Amino acid sequence: MADAPARVVLISSLCGHYTGGAKEFEIEAQTLYDVIRELDARYPGLGEHLEDETSVAIDGEIHEVGYYHQLRPGCEIFFIPKIEGG
Amino acid sequence: MDAKTIAPDQKALKVVGTRPVRPDGAPKVTGLARYGADFSLPGMLWGDILRSPHAHARIRSIDTSKARALPGVKAVITAADFPEQKYEFVGPERVAINYWHMTRNVMAREKVLYEGHAVAAVAAVSRAVAAAALRLIAVDYEVLPHVIDVDAAMAPDAPLLFEDMITRGIEPAPDKPSNISKRVELNLGDIEAGFAAADEIVEMNFKTAPVHQGYIEPHACLARFDSGGQGELWSASQGHFVVRAYTAQLLGMNIGDVLVHPAEIGGGFGGKTVIYVEPVAAALSRKSGHPVKIMMSREDVFKATGPTSGSSMTVRIGVKKDGKIVAADGLFKFQAGAFPGSPVMNATMCGFAPYNIANVRSVGYDVVSNRPKSAAYRAPGSPISAFAVESTMDAVAVRIGMDPLKFRLANASRTGTPTAWGPKHAHEGYAETLQALLDHPAYQAPLAKNQGRGVASGFWFNNGGESCATVHVNEDGTVVVATGSMDIGGSRASMAIMAAETLGIAYDRVRAIVADTASIGYTHVTGGSRVTFATGMAVVEACRKVTAELCARAAMIWKVDREDAVWEDGCARHVDKNDKGKSTGKFEPLSLKAIAAKRAVTGGPIVAEAAVNAGGAAPGFASELCEVEVDPETGSVKVLRFIVAQDVGRAIHPSYVEGQLQGGVVQGIGWALNEEYIYDDAGRLLNAGFLDYRIPVASDLPMIETIMVEVPNPNHPFGVKGAGEVNIVPTMAAVANAINHAIGRRLTELPMSPPKVLAALDSGAKG
Repeated sequence: MADAPARVVLISSLCGHYTGGAKEFEIEAQTLYDVIRELDARYPGLGEHLEDETSVAIDGEIHEVGYYHQLRPGCEIFFIPKIEGG
Repeated sequence: MDAKTIAPDQKALKVVGTRPVRPDGAPKVTGLARYGADFSLPGMLWGDILRSPHAHARIRSIDTSKARALPGVKAVITAADFPEQKYEFVGPERVAINYWHMTRNVMAREKVLYEGHAVAAVAAVSRAVAAAALRLIAVDYEVLPHVIDVDAAMAPDAPLLFEDMITRGIEPAPDKPSNISKRVELNLGDIEAGFAAADEIVEMNFKTAPVHQGYIEPHACLARFDSGGQGELWSASQGHFVVRAYTAQLLGMNIGDVLVHPAEIGGGFGGKTVIYVEPVAAALSRKSGHPVKIMMSREDVFKATGPTSGSSMTVRIGVKKDGKIVAADGLFKFQAGAFPGSPVMNATMCGFAPYNIANVRSVGYDVVSNRPKSAAYRAPGSPISAFAVESTMDAVAVRIGMDPLKFRLANASRTGTPTAWGPKHAHEGYAETLQALLDHPAYQAPLAKNQGRGVASGFWFNNGGESCATVHVNEDGTVVVATGSMDIGGSRASMAIMAAETLGIAYDRVRAIVADTASIGYTHVTGGSRVTFATGMAVVEACRKVTAELCARAAMIWKVDREDAVWEDGCARHVDKNDKGKSTGKFEPLSLKAIAAKRAVTGGPIVAEAAVNAGGAAPGFASELCEVEVDPETGSVKVLRFIVAQDVGRAIHPSYVEGQLQGGVVQGIGWALNEEYIYDDAGRLLNAGFLDYRIPVASDLPMIETIMVEVPNPNHPFGVKGAGEVNIVPTMAAVANAINHAIGRRLTELPMSPPKVLAALDSGAKG
């Protein structure tokens, strides 16, 4: 298990529907999969929403949401709206 | 070309950074390239589409009997020929797809929502018969009041496009319908406390006109259905996998039963990431049993395909006397067109992104109105909010008496700067673009009467995402690189360059192609400046697999351990793994060509593929300098000089990258000075052609000078950042700021056409 929990923030305004307005969490996780599963356990349905409808910024680097992302202890994770360009 | 490259970390690369001849050049200039309209099949019919003459009307009935009876007509379809879709938003917020909306945009059902909205379609033996058949279709309309302007569409008494649309993003939800589809809000810090600490506050209102992407090639598609129900399409798009998915959904088919062939594309700029004629041609083909081709006219393109949004915006910036910005507040109201889905979310995210501001609020509204549904356009949303933010930034700099570039530099975001949407910036690059302009001799050059100089900056995310590549080694040692990315901006050249660099062979030994949807794995659209980054990563990864296989084959030929062969400078070389990998000199190096000749006896064809979901796409920053001369008699604005400094990470093919920078600026100049849709009182478009819709041509423009700042992206093998979009972001504000500098009048409404400039001169209101 990671030494320090990840700071997880939900920016997507639609997430409030699942969490009752809660946006910020501390989650002990080694991969993004752990984060998604933990959030889904707390708020059923949120995991699928995050997988399908958000991108993720891990310590500022923006990625497509993927189970495989490794997390450093104490990292910052923001689920943000997906960006589509021209 | 007066091009300049700033490359603080230039590695010794042999092919990357060179400017070889583009592989698609000769076919395009000799007319051999095959665009969407160039494909034909035996027995092919011509399709045509009946379009609404009204901006807003209820469809009481459609009678197609006379059209169906016309000799030569083989099929007539309406919305009834497409299955109904579930009403739900699927996919990400910014680009949430609602197929209930999409099927109605492709073919109107209960109502027509804009002039040009498709109502019915025919397939006939000739274009003339198809056109005659359309004239025989009787549509009974109940004409309804319409609304086009975004502020008018938000008014409480505005005509409603959808009588049951409740605004999303507001808690509790409104109890009355409106044209406001969605509200978004981003917050950072304490906005009120920030403004309370400001020494100076500037607040300004802005409006921008909706503009079309202006691609030269109208939409076109050829569709064929076989008796087994499988469909095949040839179309020019920015993503044939998306064409496949959308068309299959709208026709009620499995994705695997639709095959899409990519055609050459005559420009897209975001406008060809969606579909219009493809499902219509496919439905006509399915119904008639013949191949069917549909080609839009230019008028169709203007009246029925996605422009970007028009907007109404308010920006307020608070600053300390020393130039430190302490608060920024933006209100961005965007036209979505006939269906929800403007790029307002991007606008709220990008507007203040270049700056380190502790207190930010950014609010956006997505508003439907009686225009074609908006589609992506080059950094969608960001140029619009940047016009407001960067114009206000200029006004703030004037107010506090600070140089506008130094003002921006003092507040520039850097690695670790928080953003309004949450994460901290993870990459540098912005300050370097500002410094490049500060260092340019043009910045201090004298100006003549009625001339002015303006600067502005912009931010765009750049995307990564899913891409596939396959690399085949041919029998003679040449190489084929196949990807699923439509080539719009020269990606075949950049893929070939990256493959040649990785394999250690010459550029002309590599042929890059775009494969159809059955021949390569899913690849996301060519958009978001993602292809050189993401598909490039797939190509490099596939090439690395090939070099690993080549080493294995060489080891077999030498009968040594696999670990005793390495790939260097295009050859397998024998080394001693037990002696720090030093070259042994026991065997002559084996070239790719030599190993390819031994492929059969060493295991068969040498092929590798790679699939990636690329992350870590570094954002793009651009800063631009514009010089104009204003004719006080006519209000005409002439752009005298334009310099764009953009962080491109690493330019794989610098000529293509320079072309991207120049192209974005040219489109931005058109947006700034001339382009707009002109409607009559009934909501009908009066300028649906390039004679009256004024995009810039070469004689309107100076040579756009490019400065390619190269701050490499560590997340890409060659340091690539997207280069195709951010160049358009600052342009309108740079032009507006230059006009203000020239005549002392701040224009806040686009386009800044001669009548508006004259009106500003006559108003006496100093900017």
